[in-house]
Amino acid sequence: MKILVAAKQVLDPETNLEVDEQALRVAPAVLPRWQMNQFDEYAVEEAVALKERRPGTTVHVVSVGPERVKALIERVMGMGADHGVRIETPEDYLTGPLQTASLIAAWAGARGYDLLVFGVMAEDDMQGQVGPLVAEILGLPLATSVIKAEAFPEEGIIRLEREVEAGRRESLELRTPAVLTIQSGINKPRYPTLSGLLRAKKHSPDVVAAADLAPPEPRERVVALGRPQKTRAGLVLEGGVRDKASRLLEILKEKSFL
Amino acid sequence: MDSKAVVIIAEHEAGRVSPVSLELLTLARLFEREEGLEPVVLVLGADPEGPAREMARWGGARVIGLKNSWLAQYNNEVYMKILASVLPPLRPRFILTPNSTRSLDFAPGLALRLGGVAFTNVGGVEKKDGAWVFSRSIFNGKIAAGLTPLAEPAIIAVQAGVFRAEAPNPDGSGEVQIIESDIQPERVRTLGVGAARAGGSDLASAEVIVAAGRGIGKKENMDLAHRTAALFARSAVAGSRPVCDNGWLDYPRQVGMTGAVVAPKLYLACGISGAGQHVVGMRGSGFIVSISTDPHAAIFNISDVCVVEDLTVFLPTLLELAAGDQAGEIG
Repeated sequence: MKILVAAKQVLDPETNLEVDEQALRVAPAVLPRWQMNQFDEYAVEEAVALKERRPGTTVHVVSVGPERVKALIERVMGMGADHGVRIETPEDYLTGPLQTASLIAAWAGARGYDLLVFGVMAEDDMQGQVGPLVAEILGLPLATSVIKAEAFPEEGIIRLEREVEAGRRESLELRTPAVLTIQSGINKPRYPTLSGLLRAKKHSPDVVAAADLAPPEPRERVVALGRPQKTRAGLVLEGGVRDKASRLLEILKEKSFL
Repeated sequence: MDSKAVVIIAEHEAGRVSPVSLELLTLARLFEREEGLEPVVLVLGADPEGPAREMARWGGARVIGLKNSWLAQYNNEVYMKILASVLPPLRPRFILTPNSTRSLDFAPGLALRLGGVAFTNVGGVEKKDGAWVFSRSIFNGKIAAGLTPLAEPAIIAVQAGVFRAEAPNPDGSGEVQIIESDIQPERVRTLGVGAARAGGSDLASAEVIVAAGRGIGKKENMDLAHRTAALFARSAVAGSRPVCDNGWLDYPRQVGMTGAVVAPKLYLACGISGAGQHVVGMRGSGFIVSISTDPHAAIFNISDVCVVEDLTVFLPTLLELAAGDQAGEIG
């Protein structure tokens, strides 16, 4: 089997992010902390686990972004991927899901992958569209929110469970080649190994210029960016930790919760 | 330009329309008033007539039931083929769907097939300077982005609870048409739906829910959540998805889009960032108190009381003071 897993580098959402409301972009306040999209860690783990269960399987990783994405590709190779591909974009290249999907599909289309594996969404845009769009562009069957996967390459099928509302699971089978988006919690993503990272350092990933893959025009425009509106009172408790705790107890008593 | 409809793709479960599908009628009416678009409701299924009639009773709109024997269970391939053939003649400008694991599966690809664009996880709609702007939260809900479509149709996947369902149409029933198709899946075979996870039922009946998020840090700290819950009568402990993914709490206790939807009298969010996927599961709670070290955490935007503290320091202090109070009352 040939597996392609896509991974995205994102700004850590738990760090302080500033919004440039004029330029309509998000910028980190201090030193940017770029990291692997956590949802993609589950996708990479699933790809590598499928490889380990089926000898002869190869896993390639693709990522769209500038030079800094090299670190992400090294990490994924450290987790067990065999080869890396970077689709080179300028640092300030703002892509929508369709541009990203078109770039990945243009690169992957004729390369004979049996499975194209994505995280269920990215932590920054939270659209969950790139995987489904790649499936549509390439005309491949799709399953999103996959919580269990078992491949039967001899029969050309992959058997899956996808997680739906209230934790229920839909079982299904796709003919390969196919596109999967992997739900978090499907596995325990491994840490990169030292030997894997050393191997990755020596590896030079393929680099393809995004412009050469001719992505389509955007179909949406960001017209506003800012802090979300408050929908409730949002009383911020003041003082030291004891003051806050005792004030909260008072409030809970006033409201008859205690 | 020549578009003329706003189409709702309704969802139903066990023969009943989902509440969010009814909420979408309210948004469709807004587009009808503002843009002169005709609301049309599509109901897909192996037996769509019951839910189709229910949608017609509520909305008084034109409803089309799309019957296909392969749709006893959702099938991406069959869904896309049926919708791609039915939608173009309706000339929709907007296509509204509940934001669900189902619409997230078909909406992006369907939008592309129709030459349009999809917006997922939409939490607000407004008209600004003549353009429709759809707001969605990004970066775990810390930032809100407003998007406007540059292509038609735009498929809008709307979160539950953003709009209120209107009362049923007093004129009685709208028109219902059933169209049967024999489209078959070729590359996607469905094999059944597993039952919902057992347990977690005390979340539904709990009056107080203490919920732990990633900020709880490690499994040992879950004890703080349990001890805090024990302060209250009829309480339960829940968690966000990352807490369950880490194995710190069983999945039946997960609150959010793929977990339980709860509305207790008091929701105490401990170390929860407030990503949209979690918020849709708890924003109907009566009173929301949130504790987070991050003053910009999205959860504070929907909270009645905000505590900017490390919960591993704050909760022990709260427990200590509460125990002192109790001792005082007894003495």
